Amino acid sequence: MHKSRLHYLLLSIVILLTASACGPSLVLQDVDYSQPLESVLVPDTEQNIHDQRYAVKFSISSLLMEEGLSEIDKIHMIRNRAGFYFITASGFNNVYIFTPGASTLELVEKILVAENGISEPAFNQRDTYIELIDRNNGETYNLNYSK
Amino acid sequence: MYTLTKVTLSFIAILYLLIPGQLLAQQSDFQITQEFRAEYNELINRVSNAISTEELDEISEEISAFEAQYAEHSSLINAAIYPDTFDSYLEVLESNFNTVNANISVIDQLNSRVEVLVNEMDQFRDRISEMNQEMGTLEDQIEKSSENESRQATLIRQYRLNLDQRDVFVSEFLEELVERYQNMDSSVRSEISESSERLQDNPIDILKTILSEYIELASSEISLDLPDYVSMRAQQAYFMDVWDRIGTRLVETFAPQQSEAEKAEIDELLESWLEAIDGNLWATLLVSFSENEIELEPFSSSEEFNRSLNSYVDESYEASLESNRDEDYQKFLNFSSFWNNTVKANWGELLTTGNVLSYSDISAIDIKLNNWGEAASTTSNIMFILLIVSIAVIVGLVVLLVTKKS
Repeated sequence: MHKSRLHYLLLSIVILLTASACGPSLVLQDVDYSQPLESVLVPDTEQNIHDQRYAVKFSISSLLMEEGLSEIDKIHMIRNRAGFYFITASGFNNVYIFTPGASTLELVEKILVAENGISEPAFNQRDTYIELIDRNNGETYNLNYSK
Repeated sequence: MYTLTKVTLSFIAILYLLIPGQLLAQQSDFQITQEFRAEYNELINRVSNAISTEELDEISEEISAFEAQYAEHSSLINAAIYPDTFDSYLEVLESNFNTVNANISVIDQLNSRVEVLVNEMDQFRDRISEMNQEMGTLEDQIEKSSENESRQATLIRQYRLNLDQRDVFVSEFLEELVERYQNMDSSVRSEISESSERLQDNPIDILKTILSEYIELASSEISLDLPDYVSMRAQQAYFMDVWDRIGTRLVETFAPQQSEAEKAEIDELLESWLEAIDGNLWATLLVSFSENEIELEPFSSSEEFNRSLNSYVDESYEASLESNRDEDYQKFLNFSSFWNNTVKANWGELLTTGNVLSYSDISAIDIKLNNWGEAASTTSNIMFILLIVSIAVIVGLVVLLVTKKS
């Protein structure tokens, strides 16, 4: 009897220690990641962009390759409420939606918006969606993505 | 650490409300903030560079329109310019506007003042120029009419009149300068100083011109009388007084970079003017006394003149005491008449204002003259009485002799 109690105690201690080693499990709900204004960024010579205001930087060379372009003047980028990055550029046919990971941006969706490339894109943050406008012809697209 | 839960990855909300071909005049929020910044910066620059109230009025309207245009986007703008805000930007713009507005008001006032100064300088310059021309013409005519004495006398009278008019005109100008600059504080002086570069001729230049012309006048070969030169000396003394009162302020206002040099130049001109006057004055004064049979010791300054006068009176008084001749009495009467009726009555005020003789100098001569009069006249009276007594004694003796004989 005395021995089983001791075993039980030791097991509890082990479980407790193991549980604590697994890390915190606190989840904060209804986080709003929305970026009030789009970031319009000029790539450097090595096709890297750096958004100093929202502190993110990465290479767009894969994106350009995906679009079949060698270079662009500016990248338009915005983050929605859910935290997904919407990226496009003048001459792109698509809007790319990425989710941030550990040192990564993972593509979750690619939306075709113009067969021959959108000419003057601009993202606007709206209450429940991201508005994409083509300032050249006035076309508007309301986009959203959430998991 | 972020983890993406693929189990419940949902595409339900993908491509929500795809509306191609919608030709609305859609604006980019980013573009709005860019335009806001650009227009704001332009307004700030225009306010800084505004140089007139009319320009500021125009800008004020544009600021109001700018505020109305972007007020509905204030939350967007706040996000773009964080930590600044739309309201704080407008406050800065308004503050700059008010500062510039205040400065321009001061500038407008200064401009008005400078405009007035410029007009006054122009008028003064024109009038002095006119006077110079008139006097130049008169000088030529006087020279040409040397053979015709009466015509020459008329012309010289006119010349004197012109001199007087000029003196009055210049005195009024100086009075105005005194009134304007005597009590001016340093902040107003520095404001005028900055604007004075726009003056073609500032008061310092005008003063130099006046003084140079006065020196020329005083050195002129036109034969003027003693009162003319004494009057010039009075004018010079007045000029000196004005210069003492406002000279430093004037040079600091209108020639701040070389104020000492300018002051020294004017001081020198004033000295030269006095020398030019005195060059003629003392000689004329000596001659005036001489023409009235009063031979004074030559003199070349106020002090020497006073000494010479006192010396003449003292010596004459001593002589009257010693010899008591009728000639001494006549000498006294002659001097007394000239002194009272001409020197004091006609020239007195000019002599004092021109610093030739002071009131105390004149009073001292008056006292000595009184003593001289007593010394000269008492002796004469005694002589007369003695003469009468002598005659009476002689007559008495003769009568006695005659009666004794009979």
